[in-house]
Amino acid sequence: MAVTPCWYFDKKELRITPSSLDGIDYDTELRYRKDGARFIQDTGTKMDLGYNTMATGVVYFHRFYMFHSFRNFPRYVTASCCLFLAGKVEETPKKCKDIIKAAKGFLTDAKFATFGDDPKEEVMTLERILLQTIKFDLQVEHPYYFLLKYAKCLKGDKQKLQKMVQMAWTFVNDSLCTTLCLQWEPEVIAVALMYLAGKLSKFEVMDWTGRTPKHLRWWDMFIEDVTMDLLEDICHQVLDLYSQPQTNPMPDSPPLPPAPQIQHASVRAAITHSENTRSPIATIVQGAPIPTVSMIGKTVGKNDSKLVSTNGELSKMIVDPLKPPPLEPPSMFVHAPPHHHSYPPPSFSQPPPSGPPPTTGTLYPVYPPPPQGAPYGSSRPPSYYPSNI
Amino acid sequence: MMPNSSISSMINPVPGGFYKMNTKEKEKYIEEFDFPFCDEASKYEKITKIGQGTFGEVFKAKDRKNPAKIVAMKKVLMDNEKEGFPITALREIKILQLLKHENVVNLIEICRTRATLDNKYRSTFYLVFDFCEHDLAGLLSNVNVKFSLGEIKRVIQQLLNGLYYIHSNKILHRDMKAANVLITKNGILKLADFGLARAFSQCKNGQVNRYTNRVVTLWYRPPELLLGDRNYGPPVDLWGAGCIMAEMWTRSPIMQGNTEPQQLALISQLCGSITPETWPGVESLELYNKIELARGQKRKVKDRLKPYVKNPYACDLLDKLLVLDPQKRCDADAALNHDFFWSEPMPCDLSKMLAQHTQSMFEFTMQSRRQGVLRQVNTPWIAYFFNRKTAVHEGLTFYRLDLRSD
Ligand SMILES: Nc1ncnc2c1ncn2[C@@H]1O[C@H](COP(=O)(O)OP(=O)(O)OP(=O)(O)O)[C@@H](O)[C@H]1O
Ligand SMILES: [Mg+2]
Repeated sequence: MAVTPCWYFDKKELRITPSSLDGIDYDTELRYRKDGARFIQDTGTKMDLGYNTMATGVVYFHRFYMFHSFRNFPRYVTASCCLFLAGKVEETPKKCKDIIKAAKGFLTDAKFATFGDDPKEEVMTLERILLQTIKFDLQVEHPYYFLLKYAKCLKGDKQKLQKMVQMAWTFVNDSLCTTLCLQWEPEVIAVALMYLAGKLSKFEVMDWTGRTPKHLRWWDMFIEDVTMDLLEDICHQVLDLYSQPQTNPMPDSPPLPPAPQIQHASVRAAITHSENTRSPIATIVQGAPIPTVSMIGKTVGKNDSKLVSTNGELSKMIVDPLKPPPLEPPSMFVHAPPHHHSYPPPSFSQPPPSGPPPTTGTLYPVYPPPPQGAPYGSSRPPSYYPSNI
Repeated sequence: MMPNSSISSMINPVPGGFYKMNTKEKEKYIEEFDFPFCDEASKYEKITKIGQGTFGEVFKAKDRKNPAKIVAMKKVLMDNEKEGFPITALREIKILQLLKHENVVNLIEICRTRATLDNKYRSTFYLVFDFCEHDLAGLLSNVNVKFSLGEIKRVIQQLLNGLYYIHSNKILHRDMKAANVLITKNGILKLADFGLARAFSQCKNGQVNRYTNRVVTLWYRPPELLLGDRNYGPPVDLWGAGCIMAEMWTRSPIMQGNTEPQQLALISQLCGSITPETWPGVESLELYNKIELARGQKRKVKDRLKPYVKNPYACDLLDKLLVLDPQKRCDADAALNHDFFWSEPMPCDLSKMLAQHTQSMFEFTMQSRRQGVLRQVNTPWIAYFFNRKTAVHEGLTFYRLDLRSD
């Protein structure tokens, strides 16, 4: 029998990909991966595909390029193919020609030229290669599911919890632009990004359903042996997306979303501990609000001594008790690019979350909640977020 | 396992700074790429063709490296596919990968043929399964094969076990019939053919599922499907299990309708008229008012099966499976707890009996089908129904209705 694949790679392995062997440097590969993931999310959104379908497509995409080079397979063709296959697998099939049509709308003529003379044929041929490459491992799980599952167990202020989940949901969307799905199981990513969202939205989990004396933290109930270092590493990989250099974008690169550069610094401060060698203030831009201790302090020190910053600069930055807390927490997502929208789908394999519509806060991208049970239509403005917590 | 790096040096730039292999290069690349997770079908040597399904051909084959290892290879038909790899095959693969159980056929792997000029660089794919020596249809059509009561119990128990497992995993089989029930030479039953299977969800907050009702071979199709229900669930498979169970004694399918209305007529003759009294809610099914249903029929499941099925427990279980109202139909769990399986003679091993029939039943049935020696319609059971010309004729009155307008 063929080799059993392991779809998780360590960081070293992620640097010796076919693309890197093909002379594509690591940062460029990461950018290509991000481009592909965004493109899948954009195209999928335009076609009313659900978040699961899009996420499945993105995972196929990342896996594909662990075996083939970006030089041999242009990323937008692969991305379209991944979305096409994911649509079928997730029981939300779309016609190949419609996907290509939607895809074309997001691409310059030069980029679309990579689809060749017969774009549909191109995608069909690639589908066979894709299937063989991913070993027909069609079913993939995503952090969304675990996010909702875990959130159900957390006790505390409902509204804050809701806000935290919404924020974590956005982080999960964005995490697809990274190689995290090639590094960690969706459970771990869900925990890490809930942890990050908890810090940012000041939702401290004090108690949870199913707690036993053995559980130090809520996630001990669900996953074992995750260190704080690991969780923070995952958070940083997502946060890196918001601080990527805007300089010298490649000519074929889509404009990056406005980088909310300051906010991520505060986010980092929220989760950075002393051993972290990153300099969280290095990216602070002028005039940006300085996060205050009121935001950080709460999350630091109580039961997590590791989070207490002993870094001088960092402390200076965050310890400013006189400064009033910003009226609005970091607005890092207010200018979220359109690809941040993903919608719970009406899908058989993954029933949409049920329950009251989300009480949307004002701090994060706010989209009108979908009318309960309304048909999923394209005319509606993007609805958002899970609601059954 | 990594692509041949010389290929990348031949890459041509296309406008916009993109690189792209030309057709030749791509063909070469595909031909040479050694997909680490997808072996070539040539690792198996075909022995004989054992089936021709709607979905594709099935071959018996042996592993060249380990000739003792016999497999069944089911070809994925892609010729008429406008939308690439068929969604039905994807479903079957996804479901088979999920289902790992003693009573579900085991998918070993998916193999490919190498892409070459000959196949226009389009690989063919095969689903490779552990080989099962017998199928239940073949065994039942072979008069030399005799099941004792204990052996019948073991067959049905395993069938229900498999159903219990797949239903717990939220999968509907949707194509229950004797031909899709395989049995190994060791007497282990395997549910096969998940080509029509799909995941189901309990409908929530008033949302209604809209599954296709054009599933399940007509003879095993439950009344709710025949009446156009699109929000069905596990009971559809238990109806099929009931039909198969009865067939263990009758030796051929118990209700062999030619059309959907006729099938409904046969069902009414056995299970009684379909009315809102016996089946609350039936009136809201799409076709209930569009089809003229037989009226005044009494339920005669036990009476009619008694001549074949002497064991009262067996009759009672059949009576609980062949229930019109899907909500009242027995589920797999309840069926497994039925006294039928917990009374003497207890279920017993099949391997000894099967050892007497070494000729693979596929070969037997294939050969017999070719020679036309198999009884199909002339079984006593069927005669029993078809002799009642008038009853069937009543069923024929609504043939003219076009039910195919989906
Ligand atoms: N694992 C196996 N071992 C032995 N024979 C098998 C196996 N799988 C399938 N077969 C044979 O091949 C036949 C067709 O296989 P299967 O039912 O999976 O395909 P299908 O194309 O969906 O068939 P159909 O549409 O006629 O039901 C089976 O009825 C059986 O005779
Ligand atoms: Mg079959």
